Amino acid sequence: MTPQRSFSISRHLNKLRWLSLSLVFAMLIALPCLHVYQTYVAAHAYDLIAPSEKQFYDVMEALTSPLTNDPATDLDAVKGNTWSGNFWGLKLSDPLAAVGQAAAGMTLYWPFLLTALIPIVVTAFFGRIFCGWICPANFLYELNSNLAAWLQLIGLKTGMRRFDRRIKYVVLAVGLGLSILSGSIMVAAIYPPAIIGRELYYAIAQGGFGVGMVFFAATLLFDFFVSRRGFCRYLCPGGALYSLLGRYRLVRIQRQVQTCNDCQKCNAVCEFELDPWHDGFGQECTNCAACIAICPTDALTFNLRLVDLAPQGPGHLGRQYRREHEHLDRDVDEAAA
Amino acid sequence: MRRRTFMGKMGTGTLGALVAMAAGNVSTAGAASSSPLRYLRPPGALPEAEFLSRCIHCGQCGEICPNRCIKYFGIENGTEAIDTPYIIPREKSCILCMKCGDVCPTGAIKPIPREAEAILEDVHMGHAVVDENLCLSFQGKTCGVCYRACPLPDVAIYVARLEQPHVTDKCVGCGLCERSCIQMPQAIRIIPDRG
Repeated sequence: MTPQRSFSISRHLNKLRWLSLSLVFAMLIALPCLHVYQTYVAAHAYDLIAPSEKQFYDVMEALTSPLTNDPATDLDAVKGNTWSGNFWGLKLSDPLAAVGQAAAGMTLYWPFLLTALIPIVVTAFFGRIFCGWICPANFLYELNSNLAAWLQLIGLKTGMRRFDRRIKYVVLAVGLGLSILSGSIMVAAIYPPAIIGRELYYAIAQGGFGVGMVFFAATLLFDFFVSRRGFCRYLCPGGALYSLLGRYRLVRIQRQVQTCNDCQKCNAVCEFELDPWHDGFGQECTNCAACIAICPTDALTFNLRLVDLAPQGPGHLGRQYRREHEHLDRDVDEAAA
Repeated sequence: MRRRTFMGKMGTGTLGALVAMAAGNVSTAGAASSSPLRYLRPPGALPEAEFLSRCIHCGQCGEICPNRCIKYFGIENGTEAIDTPYIIPREKSCILCMKCGDVCPTGAIKPIPREAEAILEDVHMGHAVVDENLCLSFQGKTCGVCYRACPLPDVAIYVARLEQPHVTDKCVGCGLCERSCIQMPQAIRIIPDRG
């Protein structure tokens, strides 16, 4: 007989995370569509466009008419993508964009650098939550790795090679170095969320994918055939920067050794192949909460702490701990008798 | 050649090419305005080398352009210009709405008010040049289309006898004249001024 577990929001955070990833991706598709609609409105082109474009126009008009009577102007309020965007006048940019631009220009242009301030502060508190909760490329990579996992269930081989996590810091350094040398922000060309934001816009509003999609497709194939989640784990320059910024994050997942039963599901489910079972989260953890969602004994929780706990040994509900402490149980029993 | 040797050679070849490309970038950095392509940067863009170091390739200038004239380079203009915005005036030209400068987060495109004085002062996309051998008005067939397309008529361009166009040095290079020219090839074209 198992006791009924009480409701806890943290067990459902992983679902909330998928909702967040889906909404961001939907936004990256919706904004270029709204832009195309705006250009039709601005050109008063309804009677001149093709029937398929008329359908598109009607759909966009139905979606936006409750919100605005003047789409050509009002819809300018939200533009951009996760790399850099403008939300009702609030300009936000990826910290990698700020660092990369400073490297390319070799000057500090404060009006732009300040647009990365909010993301940097959020990362300092919550760690790599951009990677886990927002990144549109992570959305696709995670679906890709789920597909690979299903194919493994039916016996197909997918790539499971491992590399050194520190390679991504080298990629970051080399990318910034090339930006300095070339005087142009080279990291933008190898950073998947920036690529996805741009390429979705190109595909919808510019008539087709650009060269960035070739690179992104290559990283998907790399993840699938060579190394599961390899790009995020070993190569992403933005992930490297977020890891450094979030090294001393305040909000981190910790294991309650008293309720852990050593089932190791947390280690199996971790997209970044971290080691929650041995309290090994480190700067790579994206606070994605997948391990919290899968833990059968609610032994993983969010806590406020600047560093991880030292390894706490086997879980107290696990077989190893109970065997090692059998004599204690016996003593307690004898004392009770 | 054995497969392994071949793969090895391919590997070193690719690496060599990458290094050569990077080296090429270094040597041409700042000289990017010598590109063989005839394209314009959006209105208010900084001089080319500075523009390249500011632009973060976010695509917002294109996403706000109501005329959809801003397009983005692939690899055809060199690695340092990948995903940077450009305009080909003959295909679709700038209508000087000045929205791109407002949305640009890095100031690679300066924010400029949508007023004639400010535009005349700060926009330097290029300069229109008339080819009198091609221009219908100079061949005795009165035309004047470029003059009527110009957003700054009598300031940037004026017409003389038989609607013959004359471009003044006030021209900002938006390209609406080149877009509208009914001759094929066009008799008026923008010579880019990318600084």
